[in-house]
Amino acid sequence: MGARTLKRTFYTLFAATGVGLALIALFLLSQTAQNSDEFNRLHNALLVINIAGVMILFVLLLGNIGRMIREYRTHVPGSKLKARIVMMFVGLAVLPLIVVFYFSMQFINRGIDTWFNVEVEDGLTNALDLTDAVLDIRQREHLIATQQIARRLSMVNDQQLFLELSRLRRESGAGELTLFGDSNRIIATSSDRSAGTLPRALTDEVILQLQQNRPFVSLDPLEDGGYEIRTATVVAARGSANPRGILLAHFPVTERLGRMANSVETSNTEYQRLKFLRGPLKSTFTLTLTVVLMLSLLTAVYGAFILSRRLVAPIQDLVAGTRAVAKGDFDTRLPQPTKDEIGFLVSSFNDMTQRLASARREASLSQALVEAERTNLEVILARLSTGVVALDSDLRIRTANQASGAILNVDLENRVGDLLTDVAVNEPLLDQFVDVAQVHLAAGETEWREQIVLRGEVGRRVLTCACTTLPGDEDRPAGYVVVFDDITALLQAQRDAAWGEVARRLAHEIKNPLTPIQLSAERLRRKYLDKMDEEQAQVLDRATHTIVQQVESMKEMVNAFSDYARAPDIEIGRFSIEKLVHEVVDLYRAQESQVRIALHIDPTMPEIEADVGRIRQILHNLIRNAIEALENTTDGEVDLSVTAGEFEGVDVIHIRVEDNGPGFDKGSIAQVFDPYVTSKPKGTGLGLAIVKKLVEEHVGTIRADNRREGGAVISIRLPVDEAAREAMIARAPGRAEQRRERA
Amino acid sequence: MHRTLIRLTAITVAAAVLFACAPAAAQDDDVEREGYFEVRSASTELIDGVHHLDARLQLILSNEALDALTSGVPLTIEVQVQIVRVRRFYLDSQDAGLDKRFELEYRPLSQRYIVRNLNSGEQDSFATLYSALNNLGRIDSVPLIDDSLLAEGKRYRIRLRALLQTEQYAAPLRLLFFWRSQWQLKSEWLEWALER
Repeated sequence: MGARTLKRTFYTLFAATGVGLALIALFLLSQTAQNSDEFNRLHNALLVINIAGVMILFVLLLGNIGRMIREYRTHVPGSKLKARIVMMFVGLAVLPLIVVFYFSMQFINRGIDTWFNVEVEDGLTNALDLTDAVLDIRQREHLIATQQIARRLSMVNDQQLFLELSRLRRESGAGELTLFGDSNRIIATSSDRSAGTLPRALTDEVILQLQQNRPFVSLDPLEDGGYEIRTATVVAARGSANPRGILLAHFPVTERLGRMANSVETSNTEYQRLKFLRGPLKSTFTLTLTVVLMLSLLTAVYGAFILSRRLVAPIQDLVAGTRAVAKGDFDTRLPQPTKDEIGFLVSSFNDMTQRLASARREASLSQALVEAERTNLEVILARLSTGVVALDSDLRIRTANQASGAILNVDLENRVGDLLTDVAVNEPLLDQFVDVAQVHLAAGETEWREQIVLRGEVGRRVLTCACTTLPGDEDRPAGYVVVFDDITALLQAQRDAAWGEVARRLAHEIKNPLTPIQLSAERLRRKYLDKMDEEQAQVLDRATHTIVQQVESMKEMVNAFSDYARAPDIEIGRFSIEKLVHEVVDLYRAQESQVRIALHIDPTMPEIEADVGRIRQILHNLIRNAIEALENTTDGEVDLSVTAGEFEGVDVIHIRVEDNGPGFDKGSIAQVFDPYVTSKPKGTGLGLAIVKKLVEEHVGTIRADNRREGGAVISIRLPVDEAAREAMIARAPGRAEQRRERA
Repeated sequence: MHRTLIRLTAITVAAAVLFACAPAAAQDDDVEREGYFEVRSASTELIDGVHHLDARLQLILSNEALDALTSGVPLTIEVQVQIVRVRRFYLDSQDAGLDKRFELEYRPLSQRYIVRNLNSGEQDSFATLYSALNNLGRIDSVPLIDDSLLAEGKRYRIRLRALLQTEQYAAPLRLLFFWRSQWQLKSEWLEWALER
C-alpha cells in the first residue's frame, strides 16, 4: 500500500465526510423548517455546515479540474476520455438541477407573493380605519366630557374639590381623574384603582400640547392588550386669569371594543410585518435553495470526476503497461480491477506479458548459448592458421579471422560489412583472390576448390582455397564461406627437401666416379704424354688438363651440393654478433679487391643466442654474393649494417647487406632463394638458398629486393635469443612446421 | 485562454472589492439614512452610598429599521453599562454590568410609539418617534451599584454604549441583518472614571 493509495483513501474519506455532513445538514435543515424553534436554533449552524460542505467540495473540484487540465495538456493517456466523461456527466447533472432550481425559485417566490393581495390588505386597512373611527368618536366624547368636568371643577372650591371630582369621575365613567396644580403638583385625584396606587403623572407631551392651547387626547395601548383614552385640559380658576390647574383623565375602552380593536390592530400589524419580511424571507429561501443547489451540483460534478477516474484508471494502467511492454519491460503486471470486460482485458494483458517475459527469457538463454558458441568459434577461428572468410551473397564480408588477413596481407577483421571487391582495391593479393573467386561464383559453382598462386611485391604466395555456399532461399544463397591455406612455406619446404635429396644423391652418385675419372686422366697423361709426339702430346695434355679441371670444377659443385644437403644439428650458443661480423668482414677486407665494404654496427648490440657457425656462413655467403655481383662494377661498394630492434613485438637483430651492382632480375626476384638460380656466370645458385635455409633454421626471415638507386639488398631478421625465437614460432606456426620439416 | 482566465479573475476580484466597499461609501454619503447611535454624555453621582447614572444618548434609526418599525416589527434597543476595575499590571476586570433593554413598537391604531422597558415591564407611549427616542435616550438617575460592593482603594471605570439588538429575530433574519449595515447600529463605548 503506497503513499499514493493512502492519499487517495484520505481524499475519498475527506470527500465522503464532506458530502455526508452536507447531506445530513440538508436533511436537518428541511426537518427544522417544520419547527420554528429548532429552526431558529440550528439554522445558522446548519447553513454554515452546508456552506462549509460546499467549500470543501469546491476546493476538491478545483484540485480535480486543475489536475484534469494538466493531464489534458500533457497528453496523459486517458485524459481525453476522462474529460469527455466528466463533461457528459456534468451536462447530465447540471441541466436538470438548474431547471429544478429555477422552478423551485419561481414556486417559492410566487407562493410567498400569494400570501399578500390587495383585497386582504384593503380589508385590513379598512378594518383598522373603521376601528380608528370608532375609537376617535370615543376620544372626542371623552374629551368633551373632560372639558365639561373641567368647567364644573373651576366652579368648585378647594374643600369640595375631591368629592366633586369623585362624583364627576363616576358620572363620566372615567377610570382616573387627577387635577394637577403648579409644578405638576397633584391637587386632587380620584381613581377606580385600588387604594395606595399613585396617580399617573403628567407627561411632557401633555404639558406641551396644553401650553399651545390645544386639548390633549390620546388612545394608549395598555400592557394587558387593552386600550385607554387619555384626555387632558386646563381647569380655569374662578375670578383669576391664571388657570387652576390641569385635569388629566383616563377613560377605559370597553373590553369588547378593546379586544376587537386589538385584534384588528394585531392582524394589520402581522400583515404589515409579513409584508416587510417578504424580501428577507425570499432571500433566506433563495440562499438555502442555492446552497442546496450548489451542494447537489458540486456533489454531482465531484461524483463525475470519481466515476470518470474509476472508469479511466484501468485504461490508463493498460496504456502505461503497453508502453512499458513497448520499451521492453515484460515484467509489467496490472492490478485486476473488476471482473467485467475491462478486467478480462487486463487479465489478457497480464497473460500476454507473462508469456512475452518467458519467451524473452528463453530467447536470451538461446542467444547466450549462441553467443557462447560464437565466441568459441571465434577463438577457434582466431587460432586457426587457415584463413576463413564468410561472405554475404553480395560478397559483403560477414566475418573473417586473423589468419585470413595475415595470408592476404589485408586487415579483413576490421572491414566486416564492406564489400570484398571494395576492400580488394589497392590490395594486390586480395584482388587476385577475389578475381579467382568471382570466376567460380559467376559460373554458378556452389562448391569449389582450387590452388591459387598470388603474386605480390614480396613474392608469390600459393593458397589452397575451398569455398562452400551457405544455405539460403531457393533462388539465392545466404552467403559463402571461403577457407584457404597459405601453402607457400610448405611447398617451399617440400621443394627444399627435394633439392636437398637431389643434392645429396648428386653428391653421392657424381662424386664417386669423379676421382677415378681424374685419376684415370692423370694416369693417361703420365703414361702417354712422354710417348707421343709433340702434336699429339699437346692434344693429350690439353684434353687431360681439361678433364682434370672439369672434374675439379664438378667436385666443387658436388661439394656445394653436399653442403646444401648437409643439415648438421644446430648448436645454439651465446656470442657477440659484432665481433663475428668484424671477423668475417676483416677477411674480405684483407683480400685485394676493388669492392669497398662499409660496416655499420649498432654499438649497443647485445649478444645473441644462435649457431655461430651458421651465422658466420650466412655472413660469408651474403658478402661473397655481393662481391661477386660487383665484379663488373667499378667503385663497387657493399654496405653491411647490423642493428637491434623489434619486429612484431619480438626482439630481433636486423642484418642488411646492400650493394650497388646490377641488382636482381625483376622477373626472377621471387626465385632468388631457390637452389640453382643464379645470374652470375660462376655461381652455383646455392649461395642464397643456403642462406635462406640457415636463416629459417633460426626461425628468422629473409627478404631480397632491389634498391631504388640500383643494386640489391638482402634483409635478414633473426631473433636475438631462444625466447624471441619461441615468440616468432608462436606468431607464425608455419615457420615451426618449416623448421621441423628441415629438421 | 490562460490570460482570459486571469482577466476574468481580476475583474471578479475588483467587482467583489467594489461591492464590499459600496455600503461603506454609502454610509459616508448619507449618515442620516444609515442611522447612528451615540452617547452624548454620561456621568455618575453617588447618592446615599449608591452610584446613580445620568446619560444622554442620541439615537437615530436607519431607514431600514424605521421601515421595519412602521411595518410592525418591534425594535430592541439595549443600553449596556459595564463597571470595570482598573488593574495596573494585568487586564482590567469587568466586575459588574447592567443591560437595560427597551422595546420600541409602533401601534398603527393609536398611531403611537410604545417604549417598553423589558427589564421592568413598564411602558410609555409617545405620539412621535422623536419623543419616543428622546425618552429612550434620556437616562436619569438610574441606580447603578452600591458603593459598598466595590473594593476599597481600587480604581473603577464606567463605560456605556447603546446598540440595536437583533437577537430576538428569527435566525434567517438575523443572518440577513448581520450582513446589512443599516442594522448594525451601535455606539462607541463612552468611558469615564467612577468617582467615589
